[in-house]
Amino acid sequence: MKPTDTLRPGERLFALLLVIFAGYAFWESYEISGFRGLTTGGVMPMLASGIMALTGLVILSDTLRKPRTAEGGIAGLITYLFPLRVVLFTLLVAIYVAVIPSIGFLAASGGLLFVTIWALWRKCPLPALLIALLSIAAIYVLFRVVFQVVLPIGSFWR
Amino acid sequence: MIETLGFFATAWLDPSLFLLTALGTFAGIYIGAIPGLSVTMAASILISFTFKWDVNEALALIAGVYVGGVYGGARTAILLNIPGAPSAIATAIDGYPLAKKGLAGEAIGLSTVMSVIGGLIGVAALAIAAPLIADFAIKFTSRDYMLLGIIGILLVGTLSGESFAKGAFAGALGVMIGMIGLDPMTAETRFTYGSINLMGGVPFVVAMIGFFGVAEALVQLEHVDTAAIKQKVGRIVPSWADVRRYLGLGLKSSGLGTLIGALPGTGGDIAALLAYDQAKRSTKNPDVPFGEGAKEGLIAPETANNAAVGGAFVPMLTLGIPGDAVTAIIIGALYIHGLKPGPLLLTDTPHLFWFIVGNLTLANIFLLIFGLTGIRIFTKVVECPRAILIPLIVILSAVGAYAIQNNPVHITWALAFGVIGYFLKRYGFQVGPIILGVILGPMIDANYRRAMIGAQENIGTFFYDLLSNPISLVLTCALLFMFVTQLPFIKNRKRHR
Repeated sequence: MKPTDTLRPGERLFALLLVIFAGYAFWESYEISGFRGLTTGGVMPMLASGIMALTGLVILSDTLRKPRTAEGGIAGLITYLFPLRVVLFTLLVAIYVAVIPSIGFLAASGGLLFVTIWALWRKCPLPALLIALLSIAAIYVLFRVVFQVVLPIGSFWR
Repeated sequence: MIETLGFFATAWLDPSLFLLTALGTFAGIYIGAIPGLSVTMAASILISFTFKWDVNEALALIAGVYVGGVYGGARTAILLNIPGAPSAIATAIDGYPLAKKGLAGEAIGLSTVMSVIGGLIGVAALAIAAPLIADFAIKFTSRDYMLLGIIGILLVGTLSGESFAKGAFAGALGVMIGMIGLDPMTAETRFTYGSINLMGGVPFVVAMIGFFGVAEALVQLEHVDTAAIKQKVGRIVPSWADVRRYLGLGLKSSGLGTLIGALPGTGGDIAALLAYDQAKRSTKNPDVPFGEGAKEGLIAPETANNAAVGGAFVPMLTLGIPGDAVTAIIIGALYIHGLKPGPLLLTDTPHLFWFIVGNLTLANIFLLIFGLTGIRIFTKVVECPRAILIPLIVILSAVGAYAIQNNPVHITWALAFGVIGYFLKRYGFQVGPIILGVILGPMIDANYRRAMIGAQENIGTFFYDLLSNPISLVLTCALLFMFVTQLPFIKNRKRHR
């Protein structure tokens, strides 16, 4: 991957957030065992978070040297990092994870497959429904029957 | 000797292992070929449901997928100008122009035969070099393993990423994730926040599925509307004259590929790019200029990336340091089965080592068979729209994450890692070092603490030991060299030259 010459939308803010996160991680690591000794459980986390903080600062300083892109600002950031398709897809996946305990893995997965394939493919719903059903059948046979994985049934069906 | 041959032939004689290798290679070709699916992603999902299997069966399937997947990327590179895997990026440069001239079948046939030659040379190098390196590696101490672990993480970061700082940050983040849970030495809790689920730590397979599978699916959403290109496929089996003509270049590229693959942190992608560059420099009068359909430009990267597979197993089996992201996952598979990759693996479990050698050889034979057949059907399959693939990847990731411990919380973790991975990828971070950090972090932690206890918690003695022992000194110098070569003024000087 080649480094880009211009700043990506939101790159500086992201680098700043990384530094803050690294600082927090260092504090949490210190809380494990402080500076009690060189072989305590907190030493390696402190070293790792220290490296994160240091390299985070280097990354942040790199972003300060790069010129901004024409598509900067909040609008540019939203287009670059949060395209509607990614946001909606992630939301659907989050709903999927939330409903697994109630409706079970197979029903939730089938629902997610149908909705997302239909929405992304932008064709009539029947092929999307067929693909979703076939995929779920294949997953059931492969995981439940062949590999004997006990898939979550869901409280609704009990 | 006879015993070794018996171990080598295990996968050839056991019908289930034989079939699993065939199935893995076949599936690998398709996984490697379909843009959006990667071998790393597939191997990480496979581990989640093969961990209850016998180790040989799990390895047969994963090694088959690895061999097939590295090759499979070339097919879409030739047919569609979309490398199915990073190791096929160089293949597309001359492969696609060949396809546009109506020579897609010939290009696929030639790349298959040369890939198999490269793959077999890589396996031969593994068989010869690994026992020698393992004999030497027995002399390694805790501090040497600590240094090797750090070098492994940093090499992946520096060679595959945008900048050294980003690679090091990602590696350290992985180490932090690997630290979550109970400290194995003192049973102290680390970053658990009172959660019982976190006390057991983050299974690296969950992290792998999230960072490779889900994150890649989110990134691929951007390309969901890209239409597939259709190509005509003619004669497939290459002529003997062509094979003989390019054999010299194939052998040279195989040697280079094996060497590059054996370096921790490098893999088929770097091997292929270097071999392409080498072929371009050394071929005096190609029939067709490079970039316009030169067969040399197709053969060099394809031979090198498959040779790198055997090479990548050398540091993994002898030092416990993965050669690339897939071998990092295979290390995980070995750990799951109670095996510890490293110099003792070859002395304690020689059957496993020779089984892997035999299995990789068999996978290459299957590669030749499957590579030269079914190409016309294959062209239909790779046209599968991303709109179908992406949701399927997410569902497979979810079931894979759940299946490790039958714990629904792991699905949430995998998806959370996926979202973090998406942000990191968008800003030029590689996720490979994170996974290596998760896997190698606990090993580095344990070896650091053993070495420090050995030095009686005296930091002066610790550093004196690092500099006075020849092996530790060489590794420390290698680590320092990596840092120095990444300093901005050295990099600028290199670029200027």
